[in-house]
Amino acid sequence: MLNRLNALPREARDTLFLLAVIAWVLMPQAARVPWWCTAMTAGILCWRGVLAVRGAPLPGTPWVLGLLVVAVAATFSSHRTLLGRDAGVTLIVVLLALKTLELRARRDAFVVFFLGFFTLLTNFFFSQSLLTAGAMLVGLLGLLTALVNAHMPVGRPPLAHAAKTAATMALLGAPVMVLLFMLFPRLAPLWGLPSDGMTGRTGLSSTMQVGNVAQLALEEGIAMRVKFEGQVPPSYELYFRGPVLTQFDGREWRPLIRRVNESTAAWMPPLQVEGFGAPVRYTVTLEPSNRPWLLVLDAAIKAPDAPGVTALSGGELQWMSTRPTTDLVRYTAESYIDYRAAGQARLAALPPQYRELPASYNPRTLQLATQLMASVPGGAANKPALVQAALERLRTGGYVYTLEPGLYGEHTADEFWFDRKQGFCEHIASAFVVLMRGMDIPARIVTGYQGGELNGVDGYWVLRHSDAHAWAEVWLAGRGWVRVDPTSMVAPGRIGSLQRLRPPQSAFASALGSVSPGMLVNLRQAWEAVNNGWNQWVLNYTQSKQLDLLRQLGFRSPDWEDLFYMLVGVVVAVSLAGAAWARWERRRQDPWLRLLARVRQRLSAAGVPLAPACGPRQMADAVTKRFGNEGRPLADWLLRLEAQRYSRSANAPLPTLQRELNRLPWPAFR
Amino acid sequence: MAHPPSAVGASPLAGRQPWPGEAGSTVGRAWNPVAVVRRQFRAWLQARLPLSDTLLLTQRNVYILPTRPGLMLAATLLVLLIASINYQLNLGYLLTFLLAGSAVAGMHVCHATLRGLRLTLTPPEPVFAGSNAPLRIVLTNERKSPRYGIGLAVLDESREDRWAWSDVPALGSASVSVAFQPQRRGLHPVPPLTAETRFPLGTFRVWSVWRPAAQVLVYPAPEALPPPLPEGEPRAGTAGPARVQSSGEFDGVRAYRRGDPMKLVVWKKAAKADELVSRDTQQAQRRELWLDFAQSGAADTETRLARLAAWVLQADKLGVDYGLRLPGLEIAADAGEAHRRRCLEALALC
Repeated sequence: MLNRLNALPREARDTLFLLAVIAWVLMPQAARVPWWCTAMTAGILCWRGVLAVRGAPLPGTPWVLGLLVVAVAATFSSHRTLLGRDAGVTLIVVLLALKTLELRARRDAFVVFFLGFFTLLTNFFFSQSLLTAGAMLVGLLGLLTALVNAHMPVGRPPLAHAAKTAATMALLGAPVMVLLFMLFPRLAPLWGLPSDGMTGRTGLSSTMQVGNVAQLALEEGIAMRVKFEGQVPPSYELYFRGPVLTQFDGREWRPLIRRVNESTAAWMPPLQVEGFGAPVRYTVTLEPSNRPWLLVLDAAIKAPDAPGVTALSGGELQWMSTRPTTDLVRYTAESYIDYRAAGQARLAALPPQYRELPASYNPRTLQLATQLMASVPGGAANKPALVQAALERLRTGGYVYTLEPGLYGEHTADEFWFDRKQGFCEHIASAFVVLMRGMDIPARIVTGYQGGELNGVDGYWVLRHSDAHAWAEVWLAGRGWVRVDPTSMVAPGRIGSLQRLRPPQSAFASALGSVSPGMLVNLRQAWEAVNNGWNQWVLNYTQSKQLDLLRQLGFRSPDWEDLFYMLVGVVVAVSLAGAAWARWERRRQDPWLRLLARVRQRLSAAGVPLAPACGPRQMADAVTKRFGNEGRPLADWLLRLEAQRYSRSANAPLPTLQRELNRLPWPAFR
Repeated sequence: MAHPPSAVGASPLAGRQPWPGEAGSTVGRAWNPVAVVRRQFRAWLQARLPLSDTLLLTQRNVYILPTRPGLMLAATLLVLLIASINYQLNLGYLLTFLLAGSAVAGMHVCHATLRGLRLTLTPPEPVFAGSNAPLRIVLTNERKSPRYGIGLAVLDESREDRWAWSDVPALGSASVSVAFQPQRRGLHPVPPLTAETRFPLGTFRVWSVWRPAAQVLVYPAPEALPPPLPEGEPRAGTAGPARVQSSGEFDGVRAYRRGDPMKLVVWKKAAKADELVSRDTQQAQRRELWLDFAQSGAADTETRLARLAAWVLQADKLGVDYGLRLPGLEIAADAGEAHRRRCLEALALC
């Protein structure tokens, strides 16, 4: 195989190499573009490869035009548009492949290169992980290698030479990259963030149909990372609050408000929360979710401090950004683990949505509510006892916590309480809240993340989508909103010791896990620590970090203009250094010649005129003629200099000669 | 300095397509005032260059400008930057800046490919007018790494396939041949040469212009269909070379004339040269061949010189002795390579 590759003519070899690089660059897109695009691209690349190996002529313009028309039409029918990110990526992938069919002259090669660089970038729309970055770095080096190779016109240079040059250039370019990356002002999107920028990201939904948190729980992806300052609260207290779901139509839970902005914030009820004890301070790095929620530990009284993000209260103790988080967001927050919310509010002042249930849903649960109210001492008025009774029923009623509770029908709460008796946190919380409302207790569902896992490598708490959780809050007179986690009654381990239901693992992971369970965990932790470093240092390098850098460099109150000046200053300094180096290099000369020139200059100054071209022997002759024996040492030295340059057995290295010259007894000049 | 045996010869890049906008596409330049001014400026600049047969390329005589693909790369970088800003992609920034950094490094590498290279022109051989005059240039690399993709060409913008590309090995040298076509006889200065490279990324063009001091001697173009060699002249007294007298009876030869008996044809010589030659037994002893400017039978000087050149070549091919008479110059009859050279030189410089 390799021999056959080596036997190919250079043109074919170069084309195959370029095709391989293009395939590498396009590969991550294969799963993201429509299937026809993947198939067409692969087909075209293979076709071009076969043409290259056979040395066959390229297809004519009608072919290429025809394929182009097909591709554009298919793109339009897949995406219903030719604009926007997804359609654009599909088009670029096909165009890059099609362009290889026109890969004849060097100019076409350049078009392929530039399209290739752009395709590299489109990969980052979908993933900016370390893995993607590594793959794209390889792609970039490949493209550079192909470009360098195209500019080695002579013979059949090994690709390794081109690769070496390309790598050298990338290495030399790296400082420029670092400098520009650190100092180039981070501008806001020039014409607004395209609305399609973030589709396909997972995260907490702003609505909840019974069943979709369970889906989320199957994902191992990381939702957020938390770094605590000082004491970390016990893990059963780690409730990170996301959407609060209040309105229920029998099928779906919805929040009172979906998005906040300055005008909705105006009619939001003011937060009435008291915190006790010392607050917990922590920094959250939230993965992009395309949702406005800024998850905080219950309960954060002050808005989280996020650079470039306006955090507003949603009125139900949760915090939201005015814009969906489409990028990593980092914020610091302060939470009181021990808190009391809205204790003074009267029941009548609560919005009615907290008590409403849709009519003609869950009749048996309402019956259960009536039964419970009758059985509890104090009856309907003794709300805390009613909550306890409900929890007791959960604990002792044979309810099971499972990821696969089966499909629920119309009356979800009824099915949970009476028929299936198994479910995931959302089934339990939903059924619980329905029961509470049936007993005229204001109740709501809170979704978010609970628990987390400490990464021993870098000390960050990692919350995955599998840590997504739903719990309930009930309003009790005199105490306000109180968190009740009904899941903990069914499966105490879910909350306490962070025992999770694990989805089935892949064969490889389970094999590795059975050999050495600790190793898998360690490997994963190390990998995630690296990823976190990547997130913290690269992906989360925002304008505020830039300004922090300037502050550390001694700017009092830096803004982006300072960044600009700094950048210009560095560029000027580097240019000056370059100019100085160029000047130095111009003056740099063969040290041997320099030594000779020194002697010539000195002799000329002493009145022994010498032609610029005369060599050491002629100079020695001139010296002897002029000074006789007195000039002998100098003449000898000159002959040694000659020998150093021209003789086979020169035994005096240049530095020695240089030292000798300094000690040389010079003839007395007159 | 050691010269490794791996010196690469000239190898013109087959099928290389010229760039649009390259110094070479000269469509409509006669009417373009900008082009006229540019040409004038270039001529003025070239006239200022010192004449030298070796040229060390330094910062002073190496120029650099971005090429069209280079500008396209800049545009690509701008698009990448805008995409990174608009989608807030930090990795996009990284990619853009790494590419920009590599391009900057590429600029440096490109300049360094020529900088420090030494060009030496080997003294050119004389040629006939109208034929190609090859110029052999030795590229010497004193660097510890090879230099790739160096093109050399005669600075003549009318020809597009003029580049001869070469790599120069580390601490070694390579030799490259380029050619130009002198149209008239005489001593020609070697036209200005240019060395260029686009290695490694093709985004920059680095070049230098060089005016070698050497001159090319150009013989007159020999007449295509010259009349036969003139008949010899009676030998004047003792002027004939001794060799002729002692060499036996068949030394005299002349071109075959219609009516010559077959036994007079020198078959051996006819086999070597592709025309018939007859023995000139009567004249051999008494006549010698003189190629005379005055009696060449053509109208103007150049035609006469062309005919004389053709005759010199013919006589040389036949291996006869011949002399050359030019106004103010007479070269005694002789034969051989040196004699031929001397005669052609005289014709070229007459």
